[in-house]
Amino acid sequence: MAGIKAKAKLKNGAVSVKVMIKHPMMTYNMAEKKTGSRDNANFITHLIATLNGETVADFSTSQFLSKNPIFKFQFKGIGAKGDKVELVAVDRKGKTYKGKAKIK
Amino acid sequence: MERRQFLSMTLGAVALAAVPASVRAEDFRKSKPTVWTAKTVDDAIKAMFGSNALTMEGVKLKAPDVASNGGAIPVDFSTDKDVKTIAVFQDANPEAAVMAVDVTKYSVNKYSIKIKMAKSGSITVVAQGNDGKLYAAKKTLDVALGGCEG
Repeated sequence: MAGIKAKAKLKNGAVSVKVMIKHPMMTYNMAEKKTGSRDNANFITHLIATLNGETVADFSTSQFLSKNPIFKFQFKGIGAKGDKVELVAVDRKGKTYKGKAKIK
Repeated sequence: MERRQFLSMTLGAVALAAVPASVRAEDFRKSKPTVWTAKTVDDAIKAMFGSNALTMEGVKLKAPDVASNGGAIPVDFSTDKDVKTIAVFQDANPEAAVMAVDVTKYSVNKYSIKIKMAKSGSITVVAQGNDGKLYAAKKTLDVALGGCEG
């Protein structure tokens, strides 16, 4: 089961977003221990959040985020209640995860 | 067919050129691959920003003094400075880099993440200002139970 869960809330002119990606975030060392090959490591490498086609947040990440990593971030100057923040994450194996959060 | 291809190519090129700078986000794993393989925080900061002359101010970093579970350590960081990139490093794991934020024009630079640390160590957050300075904050913490399984 993999995917992105997200919540977005507008407060005092800024939108705060909470994102949880379901992902094992297997490090190179864990992969070596469990499967014998460092190359089986798999973790989220990139997360991007867009709203109406504009990028609002962009993270390049490594294997040292926790399992099922959580991100909280804020943005302002864009976004109204009802708008949807779209989230796209990519892992090391190239798999894409998508999620949406409606601004409340 | 040729004309069709030509047309679609031209359209594609126009579409690319028309993308505003704000959506052309930078994937630091592609643009700066050496950051992610650097073993020490110093090397990683150098690979990321080209310098490691840190100004220890302007960045707020919050993490627990003692983390009972190294598998998910809450780390909050924020800055009021005018910055373009923020990166998080630690010295407890085999490689130093945890993540890099490409700040957008909409960003309120206030973030919370959860990270893994194999043992006690310190977390360093570096924010590159548009004035070229590297603002940073460092926090040392004890990890009771390592989260990285080696």
